[in-house]
Amino acid sequence: MNSLSIGYLAAAIIIAIGATVSAISIAIISREALKGIARQPEASDKIQNSLIIAIALAEAIAIYALVGGLLLIFTAK
Amino acid sequence: MQFLNHFFLKVLIPIKIGAINLSITNLTVWVFFAATILFLFMFFYSRRMTIIPKTGQGLLEIIVEFAKNNIAESTMGIDAKIWWPFIVAIFLFISINNLMGIFPNSYVPTSNIIFSATLAIMVFFIIQITGIFKTGIKGYLKNFFIPGVPKWLWIFITPVEIVSMLAKPFSLLLRLTANMLAGHLIIIVILSIITIFKNYLVAIPAIFLALFICFFEILISIIQAYIFSILTATYIKDILNPK
Repeated sequence: MNSLSIGYLAAAIIIAIGATVSAISIAIISREALKGIARQPEASDKIQNSLIIAIALAEAIAIYALVGGLLLIFTAK
Repeated sequence: MQFLNHFFLKVLIPIKIGAINLSITNLTVWVFFAATILFLFMFFYSRRMTIIPKTGQGLLEIIVEFAKNNIAESTMGIDAKIWWPFIVAIFLFISINNLMGIFPNSYVPTSNIIFSATLAIMVFFIIQITGIFKTGIKGYLKNFFIPGVPKWLWIFITPVEIVSMLAKPFSLLLRLTANMLAGHLIIIVILSIITIFKNYLVAIPAIFLALFICFFEILISIIQAYIFSILTATYIKDILNPK
């Protein structure tokens, strides 16, 4: 295994872990939000606002991982 | 590296004054294009305001009221009376810059880390200066030397608070840049599947997937602008009302 293939492998592991973590966190966030809306339909406006923000913050984890992986791929020599 | 060509700056008119580089690049062109669209839209539809709004004025009122109610007033409360024009301006400017990505062969200004850094650092200095002027030096220092905790704990808490204050603009700029960069990168990656496999059967699903992601990208553009402005509003509210 030379250093180039180790770099590609590292990029693959980074994006795999990042995507998994952000998928799990988005699932937890939306499950709790749906529970809240089902119990209290009149509060759905407020819940929806914070739901969007929380999902975008959780999604950013995957995107940081993507940027890190891309940097590894393009700078690996 | 070749398919990243869209994200590189190209100098169109080189201008150099001493050591300062003021060249007109494709980033500058697209920023001015976006700002012109926004300015013309706001200018012409706010000329003759009527009580019963016509189409354009109605659209303008919907956008501004959405930003004012959902972003400024829902997070800042009473402080929104002074601050809502700033928050609405940030929201509109970032969203029009993000939406430049739907033009083919365009350069998205916010996918450049320097452009996002300019916005985030501006927000950072506005937060600090507002904190010092509105709450005084004492009130501003209360953000770092939190009253109510035992004094010997300040050794640990104060560095953490300073780092978290410095990390705010960094997280703002990284989130915006990474989202815009990654979104448009995914479209290019999907479309380059066609040139890799050189097969018509692959082209049909790839184009539909790219189209779907284009629509998704419009949603992401607006959500990222929403998050940037809502976090700015939260930071300003935090510095105006220290605990």
